[in-house]
Amino acid sequence: MDIQNQFWQALIVCISAIFTQNMVLSYFLGLCPFLGVSREVKSSFGLGIAVIFVMTFTVAINWLVYHKILIPLGLHFFRFIIFIIVIAAFVQIIEMLIERFSPTLYQILGVFLPLITVNCAILGACLFMVIRDYSFIVSVAYGFGSGLGWFIAIMAMAGIRQRLDAKKIPQGLQGPGISLIIAGIMALAFVGFTGVL
Amino acid sequence: MKIIDLKIYPVIYIFILMFIASSIIIGAAKFTEKNVKMNEKIAIGKSVIQVLPEIYKKNMTNAEIHKVFNEKVKKANIHNTYYYFTENQSYAIPIEGKGFWAPIKGFIGIEQDKKTISGISFYEQNETPGLGAEIMKENFRRQFNGKKLSADGKINFKRKGEKLSEHDIEAITGATQTSTRLEKIINNSIKEWLKNISN
Amino acid sequence: MNGYNHKKILIDGLWTNNPIFCQVLGICSTLAVTNLVLNTLVMCAALIFTVSLSAFSVAALRHFTPKNIRMMVETLIIALYVIIIDILLKAYWPEMSQNLGPYVGLVITNCIVMGRCEACAISNSPKIALLDGFYNALGYTFILFLISSIREILGMGTFAGIPMPFFSTPYWDKWIIMVMPPGAFFVLAMIVWLMRSIQLKKIK
Repeated sequence: MDIQNQFWQALIVCISAIFTQNMVLSYFLGLCPFLGVSREVKSSFGLGIAVIFVMTFTVAINWLVYHKILIPLGLHFFRFIIFIIVIAAFVQIIEMLIERFSPTLYQILGVFLPLITVNCAILGACLFMVIRDYSFIVSVAYGFGSGLGWFIAIMAMAGIRQRLDAKKIPQGLQGPGISLIIAGIMALAFVGFTGVL
Repeated sequence: MKIIDLKIYPVIYIFILMFIASSIIIGAAKFTEKNVKMNEKIAIGKSVIQVLPEIYKKNMTNAEIHKVFNEKVKKANIHNTYYYFTENQSYAIPIEGKGFWAPIKGFIGIEQDKKTISGISFYEQNETPGLGAEIMKENFRRQFNGKKLSADGKINFKRKGEKLSEHDIEAITGATQTSTRLEKIINNSIKEWLKNISN
Repeated sequence: MNGYNHKKILIDGLWTNNPIFCQVLGICSTLAVTNLVLNTLVMCAALIFTVSLSAFSVAALRHFTPKNIRMMVETLIIALYVIIIDILLKAYWPEMSQNLGPYVGLVITNCIVMGRCEACAISNSPKIALLDGFYNALGYTFILFLISSIREILGMGTFAGIPMPFFSTPYWDKWIIMVMPPGAFFVLAMIVWLMRSIQLKKIK
């Protein structure tokens, strides 16, 4: 596919990753931190930004590793382990860099970075990138779009939860129960986007 | 000093573990490699035979598929696409492209007159079960039998309730994305094929 | 835990400390496949296999594993079992492998597997770790089976591919929402609500 086609596809993939194929609301990836951290807008913001950052870069790096190293060697079934190692290593390095060079940034993001290593959304994005056979440019757009979609979802969830009055919710539903219902309603809303693309 | 107290012990430990794990994985992969390739060939073979009614029988076993495919189906490679055809010049054209969730791969059969469709089959798809995935079901695929390509070599997908001519197929309600994409995939593949065989 | 009580581990894993409605862990990778009962059962079987054997292996190696690399070792062991499952599925049941897509690989990051390894396997005997992992995964399976049954019957009128008496007739207007993501969230929320309410009543 020539470059112009690729950019066009990249744009479509990016937008669809935010709305019609949202990581959390359509593919259920990254639910654990989504339900756990979304109580406060501030921490959700930090986690969301970290996710966008990590996702974009790791999808790009993993694309290179998969297509330039694993496939030529015929070791494509090792991708699970290698992707996880790449993600863990990237997060570790970034954490060290941020801590050294920008204490303010570390204040916001730092504590969330280890949480991201086990976030299924990151590994999921890399695996989808392999299954759908995206080119490099499209993969980067996909990583960025997925991260952005995750960010929007968790910010919306946090905004809603912060305004919920806990006294009015039945006890059995407090915590994960009501979060899941909110997630369901949001997912329903996002389904409405499917006609757009 | 016990071996566990050595500073280099963690590194050795990980290396040994990785070695054992890799050996097991590579062993399993090699052991099943033949099986995987065979499965793929049979899936494609079955899909091809399904759209060529003169050699298709219901409920063929894998061995029968293998035999019929090797004996009765010829292969031609034009511009890196494999086309399959029988002695009577009925073609099985590969249709491949992006579905809504994942790639859709299959074959569409066209008879010697280069206009009448003899059938459609899929060997790879991952659309929404109950919606897009209905393209695999018999009642959707049966629609294609006997339909004809329009003057510009196309098939049109129409919504439920609209009148269908012999160039039209009824799309799946609620699976707009899959239907739209499938329409594109089919028409593009047919366009390529018409271009390739005219040379 | 010194001596162990088989019954206690069983009840813990299936009810008191159920991974889904109590610990709320590990739902990501499996909610996506709960629209069909058959796919769910295969995924859960993979999870039971992975959790039990990983817990067993981690526990068996716990005296040899240096403390500072234990998470890497756990991840490696988990990945080993998952990759084997993936290879076997691709070779012997390719349609299912296609249906499950990347979600088989995502079992590696499933919080339950890592959670049980960290919480139990690293400090208990292999036998206890195996049982604990097995029952936790079983508790998980039981809830997911419930969700997928509801989703498949209401959304498609079938159960494990077999059409159900009332639900597959034209009298039942299929609830398409059950086939789509929002349906999964709602059904899970209802089940969490139900189970937690029962648990709270018992405490009172």
